[in-house]
Amino acid sequence: MFNIYVNETGNVALSGRFDASQVESATKVLNPIQKSVYVDFKDLDYISSAGLGILIMTQKRLAETGNSLTLINVNKMIRDIFHIARFDLIFKIE
Amino acid sequence: MTSLDDVFDFLGLYMAAHNIEASVAYSVNLAVEEFFTNMVKYSPENHNDIIISLSMESHGLTVSLVDSDVEPFDVTQTGDVDTAKLLHERKVGGLGIHLVKQMVDSVSYEYVNRHSKITFTKNLGK
Repeated sequence: MFNIYVNETGNVALSGRFDASQVESATKVLNPIQKSVYVDFKDLDYISSAGLGILIMTQKRLAETGNSLTLINVNKMIRDIFHIARFDLIFKIE
Repeated sequence: MTSLDDVFDFLGLYMAAHNIEASVAYSVNLAVEEFFTNMVKYSPENHNDIIISLSMESHGLTVSLVDSDVEPFDVTQTGDVDTAKLLHERKVGGLGIHLVKQMVDSVSYEYVNRHSKITFTKNLGK
C-alpha cells in the first residue's frame, strides 16, 4: 500500500511502499509542485529505484527555478539507499 | 508471478516465516523488484510468468528469478552508474541494478534454452 499527498501545510507526505507500480500516482502529485517543499518520509517503509527516479526528476525540474525538495524523517534503511545512490549529495535530508 | 503486489506478498510471507531481519528483507525486496521489473521491461511481449524461488542456506538467502522464452540479457554486465555526477548530469537508467550490486553479496546470470536465470545471494546479519 502506497500513499502520496500534499498535506495541509502544502508539503508532501509519503507512506507505505514506493515501488515501480506507484510511478503514475506519484507523478500526478509531484508534477504540479512549483516551489520548494518538504517531503515527509515518516511513514514510508520502502523505496526502490523507480521512486528515486521520480524524486530526482522533480528535483531537477525545481532546480531550474531555484527551488528544491527537502526530505525529512527519513529512516535509516532508506537513508542508506540514498547514500549508496549518492542522492544524499543531491537532496537536503533533515 | 505477474504483478509486483504478488511478488511482495510472496516475499513478505517467506521472510516473516524465516524471521529475516528488516534490513536484509529490504535488500531482498529491492533486488527482486529491480530484477523483476528489468525482466518485464526487456521482454514486454512475453506473457509467461516469472518464477521466483528462495532458499535458506547456511550463509543466508539464495534467490533466483527465471523468465522463459526470452532473448538473453545479462544484468551482471550492465555498466556502473557514475553516482558522483551533479544533479543536472544524473540519469535514472541503470540505478536499480547499481543499487542491487551494492546491497547483495553475489549476482550471477545463466541463459539456457531461452531461459534467463538471475541468482543472487544475501548473507544474513549484513
